[in-house]
Amino acid sequence: MEKVVEKTLNQSTSRGLPGINRKLLYVGFLIIAMLLPFFSGPYWLDVGFLAVFYVVLGLGLNIVVGYAGLLDLGYSAFFAVGAYTTGILMTQFHMNFWITMLLGGLLALIVGVIVGAPTLRLRSDYLAIVTLGFGEIVRISAKNFSFTGGASGIYGILSPFPKPQMVNGIMINNLSYCYWLILLLAIITMIASKRLTQSRMGRSWAYIREDEDAAEAMGINRTRSKLAAYAIGAMFGGLAGSVFAIKMTAIAPESFNFMQSVMILLAVILGGVGRISGVVIGAVLVIIIPELLRDLDKVMHMGINFDQYRFLIFGIALIFLMIFRPQGIVPDKEVEE
Amino acid sequence: MGLHLTTDMFVQQLVNALIIGSFYALIALGYSMVYGIIKLLNFAHGDLFMFGAFIGYTVLAKLTGTGSSLLGILIAFLIAMLVTGFLGMGIERMAYRPLLKAPRLSILITAVGMSLFLENGVMAAYGAKPYIMPVTLPTAAFSFLGTKITYSQIGIIVLSALLMVALQLFIHKTIYGKAMRAIAIDQTACSLVGINVKKVISLTFFVGSALAAAAGMMNATYYGNITFMMGFIFGLKAFTAAVIGGIGNIQGAVLGGLTLGVLETFGTLVIGSEWKDVFAFLILILLLVLKPTGILGEKVTERM
Amino acid sequence: MLKVLRNVSVIAALASMVTLTACGNSNTATNTTGGSNGSSGNSGGDILVGLQFPLSGNEAKMGEDMKQAAELAADEINAAGGVNGKKLKLVAQDDASDPQTATAAANKLVSQGVTAVVGGYSSGATIPATGVYHQNGIPMVVTAANSQKISDQKFPEIFMINGTTVHQADIATDYMVNKVHGKKIAIIHDNSGYAKDLAEKTKADVEKAGGQVVVFDAVNPDESDFSALISKLKQAQPDATYWTAYYKAGGAFIKQFKQQGVSGVIGVGDGSNDKTLIQIAGKDAAEGTFITTSPTAEFLPEGKKFIDEYKAKYNAEPGPYSALEYDGVKVLADAIKRAGSTDQKAIVEALKKTDLKTLSSQVSFNEEGTLKKSNFIVLQVKDGNFAALK
Repeated sequence: MEKVVEKTLNQSTSRGLPGINRKLLYVGFLIIAMLLPFFSGPYWLDVGFLAVFYVVLGLGLNIVVGYAGLLDLGYSAFFAVGAYTTGILMTQFHMNFWITMLLGGLLALIVGVIVGAPTLRLRSDYLAIVTLGFGEIVRISAKNFSFTGGASGIYGILSPFPKPQMVNGIMINNLSYCYWLILLLAIITMIASKRLTQSRMGRSWAYIREDEDAAEAMGINRTRSKLAAYAIGAMFGGLAGSVFAIKMTAIAPESFNFMQSVMILLAVILGGVGRISGVVIGAVLVIIIPELLRDLDKVMHMGINFDQYRFLIFGIALIFLMIFRPQGIVPDKEVEE
Repeated sequence: MGLHLTTDMFVQQLVNALIIGSFYALIALGYSMVYGIIKLLNFAHGDLFMFGAFIGYTVLAKLTGTGSSLLGILIAFLIAMLVTGFLGMGIERMAYRPLLKAPRLSILITAVGMSLFLENGVMAAYGAKPYIMPVTLPTAAFSFLGTKITYSQIGIIVLSALLMVALQLFIHKTIYGKAMRAIAIDQTACSLVGINVKKVISLTFFVGSALAAAAGMMNATYYGNITFMMGFIFGLKAFTAAVIGGIGNIQGAVLGGLTLGVLETFGTLVIGSEWKDVFAFLILILLLVLKPTGILGEKVTERM
Repeated sequence: MLKVLRNVSVIAALASMVTLTACGNSNTATNTTGGSNGSSGNSGGDILVGLQFPLSGNEAKMGEDMKQAAELAADEINAAGGVNGKKLKLVAQDDASDPQTATAAANKLVSQGVTAVVGGYSSGATIPATGVYHQNGIPMVVTAANSQKISDQKFPEIFMINGTTVHQADIATDYMVNKVHGKKIAIIHDNSGYAKDLAEKTKADVEKAGGQVVVFDAVNPDESDFSALISKLKQAQPDATYWTAYYKAGGAFIKQFKQQGVSGVIGVGDGSNDKTLIQIAGKDAAEGTFITTSPTAEFLPEGKKFIDEYKAKYNAEPGPYSALEYDGVKVLADAIKRAGSTDQKAIVEALKKTDLKTLSSQVSFNEEGTLKKSNFIVLQVKDGNFAALK
């Protein structure tokens, strides 16, 4: 799988459509995405927010899983750090949201270094379980401590945005602003991801993924390199978590459980590990599919509550993808060669 | 809150620690055997513990009314071990074997997917509500150092010990056990000397899964109820136990299970139950950082 | 070979995505045309009422019970001519007891143009959803969820007809300290939002009433071994032990509590008000356990009629929150009637002045939108069944 990923990374500029057309396509998508609040209605805007939110989380996790080849099963812990930083600082200390957002990202980065430094020396499968354990520690601690609001969490996180107003008959409110903010964050994350792969750091990740020992022999400090990936991924998670907090207005530990981490991982794998466009498509599908299942039975009249089978379907998808299509579902001509 | 550890309380806690520890040990054995032989961290292993409990429940529910409960439990126990053993073999064949040569990340992710599939498959089949075991263990007890210990508790500890001894004999005295140990050392050399590696790997999964089912069934009859998520936390703890003992090491798994059982039971008395899981995971992380090879583990090199 | 398989699976995966998307689209289309009429909300002559509770996940059964009770109430109202000549039309959305899914469900109801919402089961999911309703000015009658934090948000549109933890802690303390004459009280929760809140409120109340809280601890609800905690309890020799968490772990807790012979009485909060509690604990161990609970239908003066109708319609027993959900629809209908229109501001004003005799109690709200008078009762396990306490 790594080989495939590597190949796509290198060839991402010379694939499929000619460059200029592809740029037009991206700009088109972007314009539609930006205008979503004006035609979607609150429900699809909420779903749209979650989808873009997952794009950020997916891209953040992709730096860890796709670029550095480390399996992180506790990624939701970092987005919890961001969400709680904003939640606590805004409700208890009445701090400005933008400052809390920066602090959320910074704190997640620091936590990433603290957790990563001692554990990244371990074998990759140990790392998976340590990150899982870390994710549970964060969730249970958030539940037990009183400064995190205990199990029912923190409520009353106020919107930092202008008061809701009608624009041409469309309500522009907190949700709309949060959507634009997360969209901006997604674009920044995309550009950063792209830059990272082309940087010296990105190339060292690629070597580590291919052959750790050889990379080390070539003079790459593998622990430091992995740590950089882990911490940068954590930072994006933290930033996204801050936006999540003001969008939800209330946060609770149950938002940051193991299933959340699995969903983010699925988003990364479904579209195609290591590829930005793949992760974007994967993230959107992971959010949209359950929402479509929400009312599926009302159309099919089979008396089946499809929503119940969400994680069953996700589990099967993970197994089948790994066996038959490790490079993700997004078609890619070069990959098949 | 003041806490004095009296003798009767100590004995009672020790019995509890041994029971929990035995369950951890039986599951940890499966983790360790599979890891030893194909270097796979089988995330779905904890769910086999749950699956075993559900098979046991189903058999017992069919049997109820046919009198003697102990005999019924024994039959259900054996069927649960057998069915879960075959499920373990099937999982290896369908999901893991095609990926043995693939990068490590792929097979790990498959194992996570398998865990989700088992949990939610059971939920789809049985529903999310807890099931009450149709039989309960006899509550007859004897007094020991000022506390009551039931014969059922002793029975569970003895049965677990028997299973562990049987496994030990199997690994050291039979040809299959020797093949398992040989494959753990060098798989290529084994296929060169004519050992059917695939078959032995299959067998390893069977034995590991059957042991997990045994723990699941005992856990279910002891506590009286089961749910589809019961394997998640339990599996994580058992993995911790395997790491404590040194993953890949059979005696280590048993030692690790009992150690974790004792640490957790007495740790809970001191730090409060709400921190119980955090405590277990912290032990795991600290151990991995300070002594990744565990108590009995030898140095293992990374498979590339 | 592998390549062929890969291609096949890709095509299959893509095809299924396309089908799903197609289904979804046609579905939203039917919803928009059939369900609502743009932003004005109510199609034709109907009043669209949203329902929100878990219809998937661990708590799916609770949501199903509540949905059926709501339908029963709406059918009765419609059969009697509706509200202001209009019929009530219900739309339910699944919140899966999960905060993130809950805001999507809430926004879906907003998109469908509901006049008001009745429901809310788990507090963790209900709190962020009330934020969405508040922003859109939609009144909500919260029926099952009862965390104090819901009313602490001070959203004027939100009304709670289930007693909060404050109400329940009062009843529990009164029972343990005044009726049982307990001095040493133990309180156990499971760290879930609700159970911990109730445990903390009860602790404060007990201490105010002159009792002493000798053990205050939590368990992990996913585990079934509580022996360490029970040993601690045994040593503390409480006169009464109060379990504020849910029935599954609660049953196992009572079983082990009795097995080890801890002193004093044991009781549970309303999260454990489910007959499965007695099954898990075992009939003998459960005997005598007291339960503080919001009123379930069978212990209500007018409950029998409700149960009979419910059984006749669904061939099943109502769930623990069915009566409250039924009441919730009735309370809302009463407010819409008094408001004389489906104007949401008018409905909120009317809800504030509610004074309605319902199945569970005389409902009237205080400033915070919670019940003026507690409707909690104390039950006791007798012969393997819940029975009213004299």
